[in-house]
Amino acid sequence: MEEIRQYIPFLVPILIIQLALMIAALADLIRRPRTKGPKWLWAVVIVLVNFIGPILYFVAGREEEIKE
Amino acid sequence: MNFLAVLHKEMLEQWRTYKLLIVAAVLVAFGLSSPLLAKFTPEILKAIPDMPPELAAAIPAPTLADAVTQYVKNMSQFGILLALLMAMGMVAQEKERGTAAMMLTRPVSCETFLLAKFTSLALTFAASLILAAVGCWYYTLLLFAALPWGAFLALNGLMLLVFLVYIAVTLLCSTLTRTQTAAGGLAFGALILIAGLGALPRIGDYLPGALFGWGTSLTLGADQSAWPALWVSLGLIAAALLAACLVFRRQEL
Repeated sequence: MEEIRQYIPFLVPILIIQLALMIAALADLIRRPRTKGPKWLWAVVIVLVNFIGPILYFVAGREEEIKE
Repeated sequence: MNFLAVLHKEMLEQWRTYKLLIVAAVLVAFGLSSPLLAKFTPEILKAIPDMPPELAAAIPAPTLADAVTQYVKNMSQFGILLALLMAMGMVAQEKERGTAAMMLTRPVSCETFLLAKFTSLALTFAASLILAAVGCWYYTLLLFAALPWGAFLALNGLMLLVFLVYIAVTLLCSTLTRTQTAAGGLAFGALILIAGLGALPRIGDYLPGALFGWGTSLTLGADQSAWPALWVSLGLIAAALLAACLVFRRQEL
């Protein structure tokens, strides 16, 4: 167990990436007027599902605003 | 409009639709975690309580080769998956929304339109893969030993080429179909076909998948080249883009 503990600092950059994805997805969710499916559900998915949640939202959840 | 102007618009789109962020985040995360996982796994297995000592002793110590194979395995799976996800909507979605017709009423040729899309995705994947490779190289250095950087660079170049094959094929699928979902389904079918054929003994040497093996062997100091697969991959990219152009020109938008 001691040996595993010394590798914990290596995980910090990975956690930062995960957090950055989550924040970017939440920021987009808040600003977007409409999404595919209920907004609160996306918020839950983004926060609770590591990595996959934010990506799923970016790929499938965003509703493009039609311009012009 | 010239190519650079259209490419600039596509790059902005890559940023605005979070494609750059997604690809970079996923590839870098796997670049970092691959050597870590290679190092961790035996330790975790040994930490299992009630593990018989003979069995614990039989678990081999992790090596540099484990780090590289783990990296290639993760990158090949998730890189190709991302190539499909990011490329499937690129043409189909613009047809759905009607923005493709808007672009093409301006003096933008079909070739420019498609090539700019391909190039923008290629740049996104190249930049992300560079970041991932630097991360993996550094973590491998800290946890194992230094990888030969020239060979490691070649490995990443070969992996990028495989991703480009799937991007080009998915763009073709996106041109052939009306919706993003259909394009994704069609591209997934093509992926299964290419991967399935790649598993066959002789034919596999000529398909993009062989490039992963070549890159791995280069990095680990073996010499197991796959030049035919390299030429076939370049040919597939050219053929897919050409076919997409021909189909796209005949389509009514």
